[in-house]
Amino acid sequence: MTTECLTNKKVLTKGNYAIAQAAILAGCQCYFGYPITPQSEIGEFMSGKMQELKRGYVSAESELAAINMTIGAVSTGVKAMTSSSSCAVALMQEGLSYATADELPVVLISVMRGGPGLGNIYPSQGDYFQATKGGGNGDYHLIVLAPSTVQECVDLTYKAFYLAQKYRNPAVLLADGLLGQMMEPVEFYDYPYPEIDTSSWALTGAKGREARIIRSYAPLADNQCVFLEKLYQKYKVIEENEVEWEEINTDDADIILVSFGSTSRNAKTAMKQLREKGIKAGLFRPVTLYPFPNKRLHELAQKTKKFVTVEVNMGQMVNDVRLAVNGACPVELVNKGVGAPPSAAEIVSKIEELL
Amino acid sequence: MEKNFIIAGFGGQGVLLAGEVLANAFMLAGKHVTWYPSYGAEMRGGTVNCEVVMSDEEVSEVNKSDADFVIALNQASFDKFLSKIKKGGWMIANSTLAREIKTRTDINYLFAPITKLAEDVGNIKMANILALGLLVKASRLVNLETLNQALDTVIPPHRKNLLPLNIKALKIGYEYDLLTV
Repeated sequence: MTTECLTNKKVLTKGNYAIAQAAILAGCQCYFGYPITPQSEIGEFMSGKMQELKRGYVSAESELAAINMTIGAVSTGVKAMTSSSSCAVALMQEGLSYATADELPVVLISVMRGGPGLGNIYPSQGDYFQATKGGGNGDYHLIVLAPSTVQECVDLTYKAFYLAQKYRNPAVLLADGLLGQMMEPVEFYDYPYPEIDTSSWALTGAKGREARIIRSYAPLADNQCVFLEKLYQKYKVIEENEVEWEEINTDDADIILVSFGSTSRNAKTAMKQLREKGIKAGLFRPVTLYPFPNKRLHELAQKTKKFVTVEVNMGQMVNDVRLAVNGACPVELVNKGVGAPPSAAEIVSKIEELL
Repeated sequence: MEKNFIIAGFGGQGVLLAGEVLANAFMLAGKHVTWYPSYGAEMRGGTVNCEVVMSDEEVSEVNKSDADFVIALNQASFDKFLSKIKKGGWMIANSTLAREIKTRTDINYLFAPITKLAEDVGNIKMANILALGLLVKASRLVNLETLNQALDTVIPPHRKNLLPLNIKALKIGYEYDLLTV
């Protein structure tokens, strides 16, 4: 498989390799992981490249170990990541909750496959809830970015490292088995974000300064209230500044398709085919799943007649769209449980049934 | 213009690699392209396939319901994908491993003893690349020179000794229908 990075030149590469290469270009100093289909190529690539670059690579004994090793590494102020898939990301939920409480910039690459349980290795979007609502305890959010092409796997991996450090909060790149296994031409480029100064909090040895401690334990109830207020002030800033989405033909749309990730590609084509049939359709693609583009969806709900979310799960994002729309117009679901996305023709015919 | 290709056969026949070479060729020709494999409980001897979508614009969709071109390197692939070919599309089949039966009358067929021709080239493993030669001829969507470049891109440095044989297989495939006339 093509894995060489030729700067400023397009190369045909798999989503998984694109993510791994982008992480390296972003300055990821440590990788910890345990293999699982459909993202094993990330660890495979890292196992060679990180050692070649004299950076850290550990094949962890479990996903629980991998997430906690990542927590340890980022607490020293370096960029570090882990990657996994669905049933194994489930094992990392405790660590992710801790990392939000510890305010640590963990980067997790989550390449979704079928679930629940062991499920299967086919593409899926069934971990929308897992990523955006979380399976860890307590009040927290993960920053969640959803690529739809292999090029976006590169762009948003860079962004995940940046946002994680900028806000000292875990960031998740939520890809799926299709994107992970798909090859497309991509262009790699230098990490486009400013480096974040971590010296005010990182555990770098207490020589010449007071010792620091990073922990999430707050024995006094009042202190925890203060912490949570502060944490949620941060989330407010993230919600105000970091929402990203793509929107096509929504201005005059009677019906807006809402879709994220690889599925949104087929939804986009379905939207065009509906237009050709004289149905005024538009497409809305959230790029950040947290922060979710609530505000924009709410605005659009005042103009359009109907939303239809297109998802490869049993209907997860549809709930967030309904909350954003808040009853202003109907929100329907076109879905498939697991596997490659429904074809544009299938989406079109299901939407025609809804009209 | 957008065209899609399914390459299918036994696991081990190199169908994923053939798709990767084809996708690289389209990229080198300045097209938009997406490659994706069937994957699951695949194993050597089982069936495997990949799809390549080439477009002048952004690739519209994946998991398409039909295909413009199918390369079937064995009978199971022929049977599985025959019905998926668009009207006027092409079935390029390996007659060494699939029967020459033309049940559909609205598509083009190109039967060639791909496995046997590869053996004649000197390596049965060249069947996948030889089939690409046939595809280039039938589709007229990319030229042989670009395919040669794509082979050079895909074949890793430590396997470069196999490049001449691959280029030869490609050429034999490309010239096949001329041979039979």
